[in-house]
Amino acid sequence: MSNPPISSKNPADVQPVPAASELEAHLPSKRMELNLGPSHPAMHGTVRMKVELDGETIVHADPEIGFLHRGFQKSCENGTWTQCLPYTDRLNYVSALMNNFGFLNAVEKLIGVEIPERAKFIRTIGSEIHRIADHLTCIGAIGLELGGFSAFLYCIEARELIVDRVTELTGARLTTTFGRVGGLNRDLPPQWLESVLKSLEKIEWLVGEVDALLTNNRIFVDRMKGTGRISAEDALDFGFTGPCLRACGVNYDVRKALPYWIYERVAFDVPLGRNGDNFDRYLVRIEEIKQSNRIIRQAIEMIKPGPVLLDDWRIALPPKPEVYGTIEGVMAHFKLIMEGIQVPAGEIYDCTEAANGELGWYLVSDGSGKPYKVHVRAPSFAILSGIARMVEGRLLADLIPTFDSINMIGGEVEQ
Amino acid sequence: MSEGSNKGPLEGQGKPIAGAPTNAPGSTGTKPPPPPPGPAKPPPPKNPGFVTCTIDGKEVVAKPGTNMIEAARQVGSDIPYYCYHPRLSIAANCRMCLVEVSSSPKLVPACQTAISEGLSVKTNSGVVKDSQRSVLEFILLNHPVDCAICDQAGECKLQDYYARYDFMPSRLEGSKILKNKRKVLGPLVVLDQERCILCTRCVRFMNEVAHEPQLGMFGRGSGERIDVFPGSELSSNYSGNTVDICPVGALLNRDFRFRARAWFLSEAPSVCTGCSRGCNVFVDFFGQETYRYRPRENEQVNKSWMCDRGRLSYKYVNKDRVQTPQIGRSDDAREATGAEAVAFAARKLKAISHRPELAVMASPLASNEDLLACLAFARDALGARTVYVGGRPPGEGDHLLMTADKNPNRTGLTWIAAGLGLALRSFSDLIDALDAGAVKALYVIGGEWPIEPVQPLAAFQRSELLVVQAINRGPLTELADVLMPASTHVEDEGSFANLDGIIQRFRRAYPPLPESQPHWMWASRLAKELGLTTAYSSPRDVFRQLSAGVKELSTFDWDKAAPPAQHVPGISPAPAGADGRPPGHREWGVPRVRGI
Repeated sequence: MSNPPISSKNPADVQPVPAASELEAHLPSKRMELNLGPSHPAMHGTVRMKVELDGETIVHADPEIGFLHRGFQKSCENGTWTQCLPYTDRLNYVSALMNNFGFLNAVEKLIGVEIPERAKFIRTIGSEIHRIADHLTCIGAIGLELGGFSAFLYCIEARELIVDRVTELTGARLTTTFGRVGGLNRDLPPQWLESVLKSLEKIEWLVGEVDALLTNNRIFVDRMKGTGRISAEDALDFGFTGPCLRACGVNYDVRKALPYWIYERVAFDVPLGRNGDNFDRYLVRIEEIKQSNRIIRQAIEMIKPGPVLLDDWRIALPPKPEVYGTIEGVMAHFKLIMEGIQVPAGEIYDCTEAANGELGWYLVSDGSGKPYKVHVRAPSFAILSGIARMVEGRLLADLIPTFDSINMIGGEVEQ
Repeated sequence: MSEGSNKGPLEGQGKPIAGAPTNAPGSTGTKPPPPPPGPAKPPPPKNPGFVTCTIDGKEVVAKPGTNMIEAARQVGSDIPYYCYHPRLSIAANCRMCLVEVSSSPKLVPACQTAISEGLSVKTNSGVVKDSQRSVLEFILLNHPVDCAICDQAGECKLQDYYARYDFMPSRLEGSKILKNKRKVLGPLVVLDQERCILCTRCVRFMNEVAHEPQLGMFGRGSGERIDVFPGSELSSNYSGNTVDICPVGALLNRDFRFRARAWFLSEAPSVCTGCSRGCNVFVDFFGQETYRYRPRENEQVNKSWMCDRGRLSYKYVNKDRVQTPQIGRSDDAREATGAEAVAFAARKLKAISHRPELAVMASPLASNEDLLACLAFARDALGARTVYVGGRPPGEGDHLLMTADKNPNRTGLTWIAAGLGLALRSFSDLIDALDAGAVKALYVIGGEWPIEPVQPLAAFQRSELLVVQAINRGPLTELADVLMPASTHVEDEGSFANLDGIIQRFRRAYPPLPESQPHWMWASRLAKELGLTTAYSSPRDVFRQLSAGVKELSTFDWDKAAPPAQHVPGISPAPAGADGRPPGHREWGVPRVRGI
């Protein structure tokens, strides 16, 4: 009581500052707490960033997630394995195909089946065009939020081409629900590969434009270079994967480390950064777009006609003429739809390289048609948890490009 | 083997006649010749009195004569079968249960073959799997593409076994054999001969269990079919069981046909209220509607069977229910809330309580818990000393399960009345008492009308006060001054005592219909209104508080006797998605806890 804290001063006792001496007044030294989001245009998805500021410097940043929580993992337990697939669209909704295929890959591994060759090619092509879409979205958003609207428009124009191709392939712009356990639910539409090649040419040109607009742009580089930096050790400790980890110089790419589908058979490079800052993350993404382009072109060269779905009626639905015309077909269909694929009891961790990093699936089956447990290791979740480390001690303005360059996707962080 | 004289060369071996000399009698006394070297003597049984064999590498010890299907079940090996039924004779005609054994170069039917000492059985070797696949392909060859319109879909052994043992496309070239798709066999059963796999379970059931041989096999080869004998029909009171044991969708219940898909229905273990036998059943329900009864196995009471009358007796649970409480008799009747009805009834009853003009009528359709609560209330609050027995009128019994008494709990009513010190008197006594004016007011637990014809009697019209708790509309509810809708046994937990004095618990399928309440709850509310301190929160609570006074009930473990809430232990087998259940649906109203 004898020594009251300074902050408890009664506001009524504070004398109003005379107007004349206004300029000499001390700046208020009290820290300010600022909320960015959840409905802030730069807070992609709906994440709330509670920032404690000392002047313009971030003392503490605290991302608060959960506004987009849908109960993904629990919902999966109430559906059959196939019925989980639409839920996976909503994880990283910018590149839904990669979630679809990653989940299916894990289930197939748990069952212990190999999908047909053509399905592997189509999954690779689908994943890589969506990787391009994901990186384009990220780069476009960085450009937009740092004031470069043209770059954003170029990126979105290129992404729109991909969305068109995906629509032709899956019938949906965003929620693709493509693929089934054991392969794919349908083959490529006619002339689709040709139109993909045409789109790739256009995308190459557009990405070149974006590259030219941003990479040597003084305003852009000043905002990006040296900001949002994280060391390789910290990144590994936080569980970073994907472009954000590679920007720190750590050479880890699931496609190279644990190759799946056809990644062993195609030539591509894994771009690495050096500084782990926003600019390196941007450069890695630009380069990954080019590498994805390479992979797709090689895959299109190598793809051969053939079945896209396993011919095992315990796993894949029978063809419709069999369902409508034979008792065997209708019973297999009935059992698969009503009770689901009887995945053998067991558990598995399987991962694929999604646009933001290692998309991991921990699946447990009790031998029934429904998953006993589905856990998804969303790459963005680990990366978002490192954002405080990346921005603390830096200016508030650095938070925006940092938040952009980690490409947090609400759907997969909050599930 | 019996001691027939014409034995085969192998029969009768190993059964020496006690006391007989080892040599042939009447031998010349010379040294007997050495016995010819025969096969090595079988080793002594590993477990004397039992047979020990190996099934799928696991040792099985079972009683002599156990067939391989039952023995394999002990070690968790499921041998598929269609024609085998543990309560029927062995036909071994479906060939689905063929297994590989060490004693035979050919596969043997597991249903027909008893295990023997030292035998090794393989139920899932390559040969067996090939055989299962071939048998299924053969069975399915002429099976119509009917799953979409078949009542059995979802509980069909063809579907189950196809997914487990075959899962191969059809190789049929040409067309399937056509037969009669809707042959009406009798009042309850219709047959689709195309779906039939000719396992003859139904024929054997009618011959061996129902002892009414009304079904037979007709024709030969591809034209073979199940049918009734010319000029007769499947009129047995046990015909419904043939539908239950039919492993496919050939025999169908005409009452249930096309009314619900099997996977939409939830099941609750319950007891049939059709007669005093108390056959154990599953109540199959959806929402707040009962769709069918299916027999539930109980060795003591009904084995695996139930009668057709009982099977159809679920209908009163759905139809003609008393929907809302009412106050006022006949034309003056008006709908009221439950609280109004209770207050009105309590006021009226209080005016006449503890007087001989007030009588109680109880129905043996009510559960032990209902009767305990209601009769205790009647004794303590109303001062009743006599209980007149209502209930359903008696009908006819039959040779197997059905009894003449159509009320499930007469034994329970007798016990409880005796335990509470109340005298039981008949319905005709009640009519006499009403006519004589000895009884002027009546508290009725269960509005069933116990005599034919079912029409209001002048005696009841003369009564001054009728407080009725009733499930269905009837003569008594027409005359009631206060009418309180009661719930049925499928809407509450409880117990019945059947005619042999076996107390059987039933589980709740779904909550009581809106505004209806179990009898015990009405009694509890009336008691509270009349100033009694008794209060019950559940039927379990009623039983716990009151059963001590009834000798026969006092030793009954209410919780332990309850059938398990789930037929199959573990996670609900209900199929996911598109199943019509509300989200978060819990089968028995109690959240199922798992994985704590």
